[in-house]
Amino acid sequence: MRLRPPGWLLCLLLLPWPLWQAHGSGFDYGLEPRLVAPDTWLVEGRREAFSRDNGGHIVNVAFIVTDAGVLLFDTGPSRRFGEQLRTAIARVTDRPVVHVFNSHAHPDHFLGNQAFADASIWALPDTREQIARDGDGLAENLYGLVGDWMRGTEVRQPDRSLDQALFEFGGHRLRLLAFGGHTGADLALLDETTGVLLAGDLVFYQRALTTPQTPGLDVWRQDLERLAALDYRLLVPGHGPLDREGRAVPQTDTYLDWLDGLLSASAEAGLTMNEVMQTPLDPRFADIALGRYELQRSVSHLYPRYEQRALEPVQKASPAPE
Amino acid sequence: MEKCAKGLLLATLLMCATANAAATEDPLGSPMWDYLRTRFLGDDRYRFDDRVRVELPPFAEDPTQVPVTVDASALAQPVSRIILWADLNPIQHIATLHPLDDRVAPSLSLRIKVQQATAVRAAVLAADGVWYLGGRFIDAAGGGCTAPSLAVADPYWESHLGEMQARLFSPYQPQGPGRARFRIIHPMDTGLVDGIPEFYIEQARLEDANGTPLMRLELSPPVSENPMLSFDTRGVDALRLWLRDNNGNSFAARVNGEGG
Ligand SMILES: [Zn+2]
Repeated sequence: MRLRPPGWLLCLLLLPWPLWQAHGSGFDYGLEPRLVAPDTWLVEGRREAFSRDNGGHIVNVAFIVTDAGVLLFDTGPSRRFGEQLRTAIARVTDRPVVHVFNSHAHPDHFLGNQAFADASIWALPDTREQIARDGDGLAENLYGLVGDWMRGTEVRQPDRSLDQALFEFGGHRLRLLAFGGHTGADLALLDETTGVLLAGDLVFYQRALTTPQTPGLDVWRQDLERLAALDYRLLVPGHGPLDREGRAVPQTDTYLDWLDGLLSASAEAGLTMNEVMQTPLDPRFADIALGRYELQRSVSHLYPRYEQRALEPVQKASPAPE
Repeated sequence: MEKCAKGLLLATLLMCATANAAATEDPLGSPMWDYLRTRFLGDDRYRFDDRVRVELPPFAEDPTQVPVTVDASALAQPVSRIILWADLNPIQHIATLHPLDDRVAPSLSLRIKVQQATAVRAAVLAADGVWYLGGRFIDAAGGGCTAPSLAVADPYWESHLGEMQARLFSPYQPQGPGRARFRIIHPMDTGLVDGIPEFYIEQARLEDANGTPLMRLELSPPVSENPMLSFDTRGVDALRLWLRDNNGNSFAARVNGEGG
């Protein structure tokens, strides 16, 4: 798919250039990798929704630097992001990026792939299928949300399927964990050598989680039960700050439990979608960014299932005369 | 002295004129307002009034299923008609309600399609002959890691057309109204997609158990696929909903109250 600049961009180009430059600010994502564990670097995203201001830099990206090269977990929302990430990685190591993993088929996690065409790009088989099917639409949608940060972005498919449970690379022993609660195909990666768990979007921390493709909140909660049983020292969530205290998984689970309960109880009480969207937020989640916004989105995605469960098949009445 | 009195009169007149303008000037500043006002209200008297409640989220997460609630109960006078429309939809009209009985509130919740960011409005014709207008703006840029509609052409509806689910809920708050919710399988095709003719439910009637009509509705294709209609009711323990589409199919369902 080729992305065309929208009409407003043309108008913008007609503005006097200093104004234009102030607006564009060079499309610099300001990526600063931070060493968070031995060999393990994190580029932390902002706790925000997609905007023209952040260019889609709302996602966490991590990489492991080994003797055999670099392994990268997720590539960000755009070609520009991928290119700037590549540059940022080169600032901390002169080793090449050899392996790239896409945790799942959400656009902020794989649209930076273009910048790593010389690496092997891995994903779960179902993730590859989802990207092949929906990738162009997702990219186009993101263009609408963040604008010209996306220029030149095209879907670069992951070309390798992950079907093994272990991945040994450069002296790191990585356990690959295939889940599905967030999108139907969600990869988490446990580096047994360092005790770092890269959880992808199965775990959100201090940032309200998103639900557009979840097969069901119960499925997601089962995944979290398995994640909680793992032996890890540090968890990198898909969105939000890293967690050394073991709080992120319980927070995600508590939120899912609350959301599930809210949607069930509301449907059983006959509430409309608008009424549920306006429900007061639970004070337990007062510190979590984007609570109201993501509740509105989740109600939109999930409430119809709960409504249908709460309704009953009806007796057919004989059609009335007019 | 005389000059002063004249000045005062003029000032008063001006103030009245300004107050009037405030109630008749579109608070949503929509470019389509004058055109659509003429189309739906003709030359009738109208005013904008916050007591006409139109609820919808600030953004359309799924532009094919935007929840809308219109409620004119707070006007506290009988209502004979409510027209619901979206200014910037290719088909603006969404629904017209004719409340016919005190046992159903002058309100409706449903889901609609929006083509782009737009004002969504309700015009309420009250007993004093004035149209009272409420409305709200919705942004349709989508949000977050939103996917495009994944619904591929699914022939499910063909064998389930007109199947209905429903339930009559007890009041959510003591002294509050009860609620009746109906869902019907129907594609509600707009006719705007190439090769798919318009096919939608155009009429509905809510009745009590004896067949006394409580509300009559005219619907348009912007009502979402598989319509979900919610009514607020008082003192009814059974209801019937009758619907007819533009191909002449008619559907009807009966629902009894909790424990009824
Ligand atoms: Zn995601």
